[in-house]
Amino acid sequence: MKAFEYATALSTDSARELVADHGAYLAGGNDLLGLLKEYLVPGPDILVNIKSLPGLGKIEPGKEFWTIGSLVTVGEIERNEEIAKVFPGLHDAATEIASPQIRNVATVGGNLAQHSRCWYFRHRDTVCLKKNGDLCYARNGENRYHSLFTGNSCISPVVSSLATTFAALDATAIVLREGKEAHMSMAGLYHRAWENPLAHNSLDNGDLVLRVEIPTVRSRSAYLQVSDKHAFDWALVSCAAAAEVVGGKLKSPRVALGSISPVPHQVEAANSFLDGKTLDDATVSQAADMILAGATPLEHNGYKVPMAHALIRRALLKLKG
Amino acid sequence: MPSWPANPKYIGQSTLRIDAEAKVTGRARYASDIQADGWLYGMILRSKWPAAKISGINLDKAMQVPGIKAAVKARDGEFTVRFYGEELAAVCGTTKQACLDALRAIEVKAEPKNEFAVREDDAIKDGAPQVWDGVANVTTGKLRETGTVDQAFTECDAVIEGFYTTPVQIHNPMETHGNTVSWTDDGVTAWASTQGVSSVRDALSGALKLDHSQVRVLTDFMGGGFGSKLGATVEGVLAARLSREARAPVRLMLTRFDNALAVGNRPSSFQKIKIGAKADGTLHAFEMENYGTAGIGAGADAGGGGGGADIPAPYIYKVPNTRVKQSVVAVNAGSSRAFRAPGHPPAAFGMESAMDDLAAKLGMDPLEFRLKNDSNEVRQREYKIGAEKFGWKEKYQKPGSSPGVVKTGIGCAGAGWPAGGPSRRTQGEAQINPDGSVEFRLGVQDIGTGTKTVIAVVAAEMLGLKPEQITVRVGDTNFPPGPGSGGSTTCASISPTVYDICDKALQQLQTQSGIADARGDNWFAACKKLGITPLVVSGNWIDGLSTRPAYGVQFAKVEVDTETGLVTVKKVLGVHDCGLIVNRNTLESQINGGIIMGMGYALYEERVMDDLSGVVLNPNFETYKMSGIGDVPEIEIVLLNMPERGVIGIGEPATVPTAGAIANAVFNAIGARVPSLPITPAKVLAALGKVPPPAVSQT
Repeated sequence: MKAFEYATALSTDSARELVADHGAYLAGGNDLLGLLKEYLVPGPDILVNIKSLPGLGKIEPGKEFWTIGSLVTVGEIERNEEIAKVFPGLHDAATEIASPQIRNVATVGGNLAQHSRCWYFRHRDTVCLKKNGDLCYARNGENRYHSLFTGNSCISPVVSSLATTFAALDATAIVLREGKEAHMSMAGLYHRAWENPLAHNSLDNGDLVLRVEIPTVRSRSAYLQVSDKHAFDWALVSCAAAAEVVGGKLKSPRVALGSISPVPHQVEAANSFLDGKTLDDATVSQAADMILAGATPLEHNGYKVPMAHALIRRALLKLKG
Repeated sequence: MPSWPANPKYIGQSTLRIDAEAKVTGRARYASDIQADGWLYGMILRSKWPAAKISGINLDKAMQVPGIKAAVKARDGEFTVRFYGEELAAVCGTTKQACLDALRAIEVKAEPKNEFAVREDDAIKDGAPQVWDGVANVTTGKLRETGTVDQAFTECDAVIEGFYTTPVQIHNPMETHGNTVSWTDDGVTAWASTQGVSSVRDALSGALKLDHSQVRVLTDFMGGGFGSKLGATVEGVLAARLSREARAPVRLMLTRFDNALAVGNRPSSFQKIKIGAKADGTLHAFEMENYGTAGIGAGADAGGGGGGADIPAPYIYKVPNTRVKQSVVAVNAGSSRAFRAPGHPPAAFGMESAMDDLAAKLGMDPLEFRLKNDSNEVRQREYKIGAEKFGWKEKYQKPGSSPGVVKTGIGCAGAGWPAGGPSRRTQGEAQINPDGSVEFRLGVQDIGTGTKTVIAVVAAEMLGLKPEQITVRVGDTNFPPGPGSGGSTTCASISPTVYDICDKALQQLQTQSGIADARGDNWFAACKKLGITPLVVSGNWIDGLSTRPAYGVQFAKVEVDTETGLVTVKKVLGVHDCGLIVNRNTLESQINGGIIMGMGYALYEERVMDDLSGVVLNPNFETYKMSGIGDVPEIEIVLLNMPERGVIGIGEPATVPTAGAIANAVFNAIGARVPSLPITPAKVLAALGKVPPPAVSQT
């Protein structure tokens, strides 16, 4: 591990200043430690501990929207009884993340900003596209965990379960960028990874996720994932759905999937199609077809298509309550 | 003829591990906890190429890293590396970070070969890059034939063919491999995480050109080995050499990453099976062609039967007309080593899968089919007991007939473990002190299976004492030699040995004390009569108290989500025999562990090699998946206690049938065979015909 300085920031401005051009923020540290130990990123010259930043560790209910600070841990989301009622999908997503020990230190900001889990990217001795190499080893290699959709040559998928759920809830991430608060949808937060193989998300170095705002207009939400194992395993496919249900009909429905694209996979046409519909098998199946249209299965990840189809249908049907 | 006590007080009951408190409180010091005076960290530099010529290694810059005390090359001169992870050099220093930095500072002059083969299907192709220059990757194969196979198949009423495959399973004991070695002018002391203090002593002294008497190996506590920790291996020799250079003890424990590359594994298998039966269900003809890889090594040095990739076939069944051809494929990957019941779990998976596929074709209940064809009396009993307990008759439905999206299925499979018997050269001694305290010393080691407790239980039974009154010391080559803990032999080796020591001790006590029966209430009075000189009694393994083999059967119940492919094991029932039960709770613990490990083999574990870069893609527990707490089902264990057979080991048979039983339960649930381990959601969906073909490759 490259030697680095360490500082604790007490305000967001000083955090930004300290991190400068080549530093890294340290919150839960789960992702960062792995990256540093395996030399997967150019070693930061300073780690800026942001755990003492005021105001970022709160869960604040609201009439229009809830605010979840970026230092809130996944475990706090999991254990918050109000969240389980208001955003059941978010609760369920939190319970599926990693292990209790990791959930107790992993933060919302870190979960959103985490780097690729592609096993070529994570391997110390392969230099893949995402590490500025010449080729994507996964494309014609071991791609069982990889994307069905991508806008570039890298097929590493986004694996943040919170991002999947926030996308379905149409949440907004508020990011401190160049001294100003930038508002990003989940699509916006990951768009750069869609087009640029080097990117894991749309954040610049020094950008700091401050909080996430979740509108309350969708009182029903659901999250489902399938992993090889039953606990402490990444999703092979994850799916979140959210909507208001009025008189048995969906209002403002949204569906998002994780682990099948570099971005939370969302198809606006499918959301529009579902709007005003009654939930039944035929409708959800049609929506799933729309959402997965254009999927490009590779040699080993074709199973994600039927798996995603099932999860979309099930997540939507769960909204019936 | 000696015999076990007829109405035992402790034997056959459950005695808490005598070191349970030490383990739970952290007082137990494992090999990886040893902190010898002035110790240094040691680390190994490994090849980052799957195949390369190494023409030079320069350690100068590594030696300049602050804190580094020594650096050595794994080999001198020019040499060839044949797998990603092969050892190149090692360093030791005062901190972990110093070692990590030093490894990066070592300059290696290498000429990487662009051509290599890390996967079996690539290595067997004509013109495949040769792992060993001038040697074909595939052995010609041994052909074994009985009867008239081709004709016999024409006489069958039902024949099935299948291609059943199992992956390379990596050795991942909770404690990684390694040791602390101190080399002084007086000789070498090694605190090793090993299954065989004696074999490590012999191997170390051989490699270091020292007399056996100059090497002492200690293993007080160790965290599992499963067949992969029977020798000194590279990390032991490197630690010793570093220690000599640095003139300080060196602790060289491998990382989890290291473990994925170079500590051995279970060979893969690719079993092409054809099997046929008469209409009444009698097996009549069997043919198998199998190949698998043992990595770069099909080595005799693998020890314990793990050298090749051959598997017993047609496993536990007798088929009058049988043809078996097996070969071993070399690939550029880490070598195999003995792995808990070498050859058996893949054999049980392949054969038991074929049995169920054939039963389905015959329209027979697979349990009935087994009872008809498995002539072993113990397994016949076990199947019947198991079927009753499991509710087989009520639960069994034809393959694929379970209704709904989430289908349930049941399956069963059998095991026979030919070893499990004793090592006849086992020795030990007891020191009986005038105050009545007693210490047993055996040069065996407790690899987590409860060996120390077994010694205490047998001694307490024989001497009329309580297990907690027995002090047990093992894991030291200064003690009388014991067996390596492999082949499930330990329990059957040490129990008769302790019996013999106790028997002799009681005779001697009687002579010296004049008390006719020194056991129990008379113990302290008898010991007091020893005066001021403790009594030291030696004993050895004696015949008549232990035997082999062990038999077992397991039943599994699963749920399979036919839309997501997820398999959930709901229950496993193991019915096992191991002769006389010595200590019930550590025995059950072994079977629990065997089933959990077997479940990992069935559903999760697989070494994934990348054919382009030649690396192991999953050298960590994130992507090398093993059974976790969320996966483990209800496990029920039924033990056949057969004191008349004497003591038999259980470590290995417990893990043999699990994967076959689970695979058959999956087949029973969905009516389609997943012929390849691990049974992942992807493979279940593929078996159900739900996976779309790959789109045209985009580059």
